[in-house]
Amino acid sequence: MQWFHQLQRSQHRKKLIRYSFIALATIAMILLGLGRMPALAQTARHYTELEFEPLPEIQLPDYSRFELDNGIIVYLLEDHELPLVGGTAMFHTGERLEPNDKVGLASITGSVMRSGGTVQHPPDELNLLLEQRAASVETGIDPTTGTASFSALTEDLTEVFGLFAEVIRQPAFPQDRVDLLKSQIRGGIARRNDDPDEVAGREFQKLVYGTQSPYARTVEYATLDNISRDDILGFYQQYFHPNNMILGIVGDFESEEMRSLIEAAFGDWQPNPNLEAQLELPEVAQAQTGIFLVDQPQLTQSYIQIGHLGGQLNNPDHAALTVVNEVLNGFGGRLTNEVRSRQGLAYVVYAYWNPRFDFPGTFIGGGQTRTDATVPFIQSVLAEIERIRTAPISEAELTRAKDSVLNAFIFNFQDPGQILARLMRYEYYDYPADFIFQYQRQVEETTIEDVQQAAQEHLKPEDIVTLVVGNAAAIQPPLNSLGSNVEVTQIDITIPEPQG
Amino acid sequence: MFVTDFMNLLSWSVFSKFDRSNRTSRSRCIDWNRAIFTVLAAVLLFLGTPQVALAQTATQAEPETVDLSSYIDDVIDRVTEFTLDNGLKFIVLERHVAPVISFMTYVDVGAAYEEDGKTGAAHYLEHLAFKGTTRIGTTNYEAEAPVLEQMDELFEQLQAARAAGDEAAIARIQPQFEALKAEAATYVQQNQMGQIVEQAGGVGLNATTSADATRYFYSFPSNKLELWMSLESERFLEPVFREFYEEKDVILEERRMRTDNSPIGRMIEAFLETAFPGHPYGRPIIGYEEDIRNLTREDIREFFEAHYTPNQIVSAVVGDVDPDEVRRLAETYFGRYQARDSSPEVMAVAPTQTEAREVTLELPAEPWYLEGYQRPAISDPDNVTYQIIDAILTSGRTSRLYKSLVEEQQLALSIQSANGFPGDRYPTLMLIYALTAPGHTVDEVAAAMDAELERLKTEPVSAIELDRVKTQARAGLLRVLASNQGMASLLPEYEAKQEIGATCLVNWRRSPLSPLRTYSEWLRKRSSRRT
Repeated sequence: MQWFHQLQRSQHRKKLIRYSFIALATIAMILLGLGRMPALAQTARHYTELEFEPLPEIQLPDYSRFELDNGIIVYLLEDHELPLVGGTAMFHTGERLEPNDKVGLASITGSVMRSGGTVQHPPDELNLLLEQRAASVETGIDPTTGTASFSALTEDLTEVFGLFAEVIRQPAFPQDRVDLLKSQIRGGIARRNDDPDEVAGREFQKLVYGTQSPYARTVEYATLDNISRDDILGFYQQYFHPNNMILGIVGDFESEEMRSLIEAAFGDWQPNPNLEAQLELPEVAQAQTGIFLVDQPQLTQSYIQIGHLGGQLNNPDHAALTVVNEVLNGFGGRLTNEVRSRQGLAYVVYAYWNPRFDFPGTFIGGGQTRTDATVPFIQSVLAEIERIRTAPISEAELTRAKDSVLNAFIFNFQDPGQILARLMRYEYYDYPADFIFQYQRQVEETTIEDVQQAAQEHLKPEDIVTLVVGNAAAIQPPLNSLGSNVEVTQIDITIPEPQG
Repeated sequence: MFVTDFMNLLSWSVFSKFDRSNRTSRSRCIDWNRAIFTVLAAVLLFLGTPQVALAQTATQAEPETVDLSSYIDDVIDRVTEFTLDNGLKFIVLERHVAPVISFMTYVDVGAAYEEDGKTGAAHYLEHLAFKGTTRIGTTNYEAEAPVLEQMDELFEQLQAARAAGDEAAIARIQPQFEALKAEAATYVQQNQMGQIVEQAGGVGLNATTSADATRYFYSFPSNKLELWMSLESERFLEPVFREFYEEKDVILEERRMRTDNSPIGRMIEAFLETAFPGHPYGRPIIGYEEDIRNLTREDIREFFEAHYTPNQIVSAVVGDVDPDEVRRLAETYFGRYQARDSSPEVMAVAPTQTEAREVTLELPAEPWYLEGYQRPAISDPDNVTYQIIDAILTSGRTSRLYKSLVEEQQLALSIQSANGFPGDRYPTLMLIYALTAPGHTVDEVAAAMDAELERLKTEPVSAIELDRVKTQARAGLLRVLASNQGMASLLPEYEAKQEIGATCLVNWRRSPLSPLRTYSEWLRKRSSRRT
């Protein structure tokens, strides 16, 4: 936390200096017989008349990083503002690594790891122990990561950290909790077409990545039925090892004591010598292009997604594409100004480059609009995409976009937990620890030409997928008026029935 | 996994959480809205009842948990509050952990203040408060103003023609109206205010309207304090409600998205109408479609003049600031507002309910079950009891309804509550809602819920259960203290709704006879009676 204290001190100094100056000036004025106090900000000023001192330079707070003998990488960051401690463990695993006929396996494993209790503490006992202390331990597996986290009052740290380690090392995976979760997931499948926005999001991913892609496929009654408790144990045993784990803890502790606590809880956990050094990630290619429709006659609006396969965060054009995002979106972004505020076509409209750490993300646009405005809405969004590809942005737009990113940069460092989480993410995806500062420099250096070149290279009209979830009969003009020889492909979202 | 946020469904904002640019900040804001509900109880519990908590736990094997007093004292030391001559209040909380500041303009007026037939005015105004001033958002206000007025006149003529079914008149006026709209657009610098904020490094710019209040908020790096003062004071000093008719279309889209095409959105509207017949809480916050269509610029202007008076506004400034500087700047910038009498407080008394009321909506979607109980307003001493009841029933894996309906009987996929629904300034509802599990019906869920509520009525709550809920409330408070946005949202709401905000945090220590002591006494009695 030294950084913050230093920062306070330096600001304090600055204020002192400033006030001394004011005092001197005041005395001088009085001596000169000018009488009244100077009018320093005593009249209200329009924003154009204001000037601002620079912010202090960002420095990272002190943190430690070390590795246990069994391979656990540990980050510790002390923060004594409040009597709270929180931590997260990341494991190299993910839903993208589960087999195609067992979609749901990773997420069930990640969930029952906590909900099923541990060998020593059955679920009800574990829940009581934690909630009686207003503490939590949670686990989960998302498409690219496995995580376990805890949160505790300082005074309960030892006990809660012990339970956290138990959940990670000795989850019980009882059959009844597996069954409960599977039943809940069945309930989720039955409800997945109730919200048109969810339908649009899900089907768009399937069009871009392919219905069987690990980045788009969905859990079905059939894949759920294929998952046994043995599969869950197997998935857990494949990935949950100390040499596959990054642990980060932030809060009100002394680092030496915390290190002992970690050694005590995890030190004797044996590494797996056969762990794959490098996970084999799924291949990614865009599956479809064209115009697609999910017919939902009950709707009075169309839910629209427009876009294509995108790229990774470590793409050299990342900063320039951020500027593209800024120019198109946000208050005063082209899409908001044109489609929402001027044409009144939508409450939500956007189009942005959405990169991922280690697989291609998407370029994704869309929004919702009343049914009869569907085609004008799509045309307006496509027109803005075309415009940013083919014409240079203005100097004012470049400045605005860069200022927005750079002036708000400090918000990436407003609390220690956020800083630690980012460091761990970089470690997990093998990014340099100063990636965010590289990005800052690249934004500073971005030119109009860079933006134009990046937009031209990465936004691809020929690859665009347009998906409409709406009332087909009432969409007038119809979707095939979007071009000549336009074919509109209907998507059937009927939920496949459970077997037996 | 099936978490639906009712606070989200009940608070309408100018930008959607679906919008990329506000994605993170918006969701954070929702979290805080929720957190407030829990923490409200926490503050009362903690501040009022440290002795009680000790008394409660004395019989337990568990030792008394965290002592927050030093942390609360520390917060109290960092709170400054002042009221300008015109009645506008400021609450300042110094927090120097990072060079950033969160701001909140809390207008103590929400949709409940609207006249019948003009529902949606509060939310419409919230959208228009992003359209600029006489100097921001326009290239030439002098030329723009008469065009806006001509449009208003034509709009009224159009409305009259529509009402009379005079097609010829409509056909004549409509093109003139469109031409004026196009002319007005030439003067507009679209979304300029938001642009200034974003370019200066502002994040999380948004606003929300609820039944009780309207909130305008964002955060700046700490060197932009005066910029907020300038922009925010000008925003309500000389607002211009431009792009009024374009925005009407935007709001209608918002209504379609969040109400008409959302099964739960439609259910909430029907549910509230049934629960609060003839009461302001029974009307949709976004407004009825017909009302939104009919609202005029004059309606919004009247609502603004009547309700956005300085004494109805509480501003919170939380973060790396010097309170003296805040005060000096506030007097300079917000001191420009003229003191005005605000409209009389809306007296909304819920009609007495003598029997259960029901409403059923058949929609092409899986079932939801909602059950609401009348409860008193936030100012009632029983408020704390309802917060505790809520936590006992639905908070966490050990809560009674979750354990019974989700885990043991497996009738529901999830069960949650909204305590103070749709607001809590007036007597209101405690709502419990559940999603049915596959193969189970809403009737089964209803019966199981009833059984648990019956148990709550007939069996005393165990000391250990009460202790758990109180500990969680205290920890919840701590977690909010660690957030500028959280505190910026919390403090003015307390101030406005209970008058136990920062003032009372301070008074609590200085004056042992503050209202909080009353809470303390009250809770002690209740606790002893129950256990």
